[in-house]
Amino acid sequence: MHFTKDICRQLSDLEIIHKSLEQVDYFSCLYERYEASLLRYVKRMGVVAEEEAQDVLQEAFIKIWKNLHAFDPSLKLSSWLYRIVHNQAISCLRKKQSFGKGRETDFDEGLLAHIPDDDSGENSPEALEEKDQRTRELIDQLPLPYKEVIVLKFLEDLSYEEISDVLKIPEGTVATRINRAKKALRKLSAQPTF
Amino acid sequence: MKPSEKLIQTIREQGVTPVPRWRFTLKNVLLWSAFAAASLLGALAFSIILFAVQQTDFQVISHLSHSRLELFLGLLPFFWIILLIIFLIIAIYSVQYAPKGYKLTLARLVGYSAALSILLGTLFFIGGGAQRIEQAFAVNVGLYESIQEKKIKLWSMPEEGYLSGEIEQTSLGAFQLKDFEGQLWTVEYKKAFIPPVVLLERGEKVKLIGTIAGPGRFVATEVRPWGGLERNGRERRK
Repeated sequence: MHFTKDICRQLSDLEIIHKSLEQVDYFSCLYERYEASLLRYVKRMGVVAEEEAQDVLQEAFIKIWKNLHAFDPSLKLSSWLYRIVHNQAISCLRKKQSFGKGRETDFDEGLLAHIPDDDSGENSPEALEEKDQRTRELIDQLPLPYKEVIVLKFLEDLSYEEISDVLKIPEGTVATRINRAKKALRKLSAQPTF
Repeated sequence: MKPSEKLIQTIREQGVTPVPRWRFTLKNVLLWSAFAAASLLGALAFSIILFAVQQTDFQVISHLSHSRLELFLGLLPFFWIILLIIFLIIAIYSVQYAPKGYKLTLARLVGYSAALSILLGTLFFIGGGAQRIEQAFAVNVGLYESIQEKKIKLWSMPEEGYLSGEIEQTSLGAFQLKDFEGQLWTVEYKKAFIPPVVLLERGEKVKLIGTIAGPGRFVATEVRPWGGLERNGRERRK
């Protein structure tokens, strides 16, 4: 039995969880509600191939299903989902042993507005497009601890508290990593491209 | 097939079921129990460290002519310091893996755990528990060198000017002392500083500062109670 979007829409996240435990079909509501954003996140983290990203999401949701009783309602459900999906994506990338090399992430147009840049004088569409592409490449070159906070903060638009819950690190550490990641990005952007 | 349908199908086909809630509850209970036990044991270790520091005359070491560093290191209660560190690590580790434990920075975790151990340990020390545990440990663990044994070692160096033992007999201006190795000494104390808490009588355990005046003879410049000023360490013979 598959539920229509209307049935799913009427239920809150917690209601879906409770109903899923009674009838597994309700779990599809949760998947459909978060599928788009989580799939985008998996791709942004470096699992770019559609099929592979779908596999990561499927495996992550099986883990979510297994650990449904571990969900702490004091957390935002989305943070908990991001955490499991994040771990699954990292695990997939580590298995491939080619993490962060020559990959492109799905890029948000507004990113550059959020990441301060010292040389922001050029505003033509061509210049912005070129800049987006360059920033995308730069993010991919960042070490994982920096890349994940940049993606979560500026691409996924999560708060410091949510990032802290996703990565299981203190909020202060999130702030420090974001600052260092920005510095690293600026440093990388100053290097000539070949 | 939609990905959500594929997911439900996989769950059904593989018979995947959610892990029961009690397992997560048990894990959390175990983590918090480990934290409580580690904090308590850390507190006990800290209280014994306090006891060791109270019992050791560190100022004496500065007057010794040789091997000061070696002696100082020998007197430090390393066993309890290492235990305290181990228990602190266990406490920190268990909180870190407890729900929301990641919210605390390592510095805060170390600070809170250490503060808890110091607070409980000080209370335990004030209550006299540290000495009892240390003595029980010394009796039951053969390899363990007790604080008392270390103290005896420090105060059994007559050639360095430090002697200790139990008063056997007293006479005017002198008393006979049996040191902790069983050797008898005649101790002259006419010019010695003797705090009022010291009673020069048979059975009194004392520590002396002075010089060797000849074979089996010691001239004391200071007579101190063996067990510290509060307790005085008297175990009188009846």
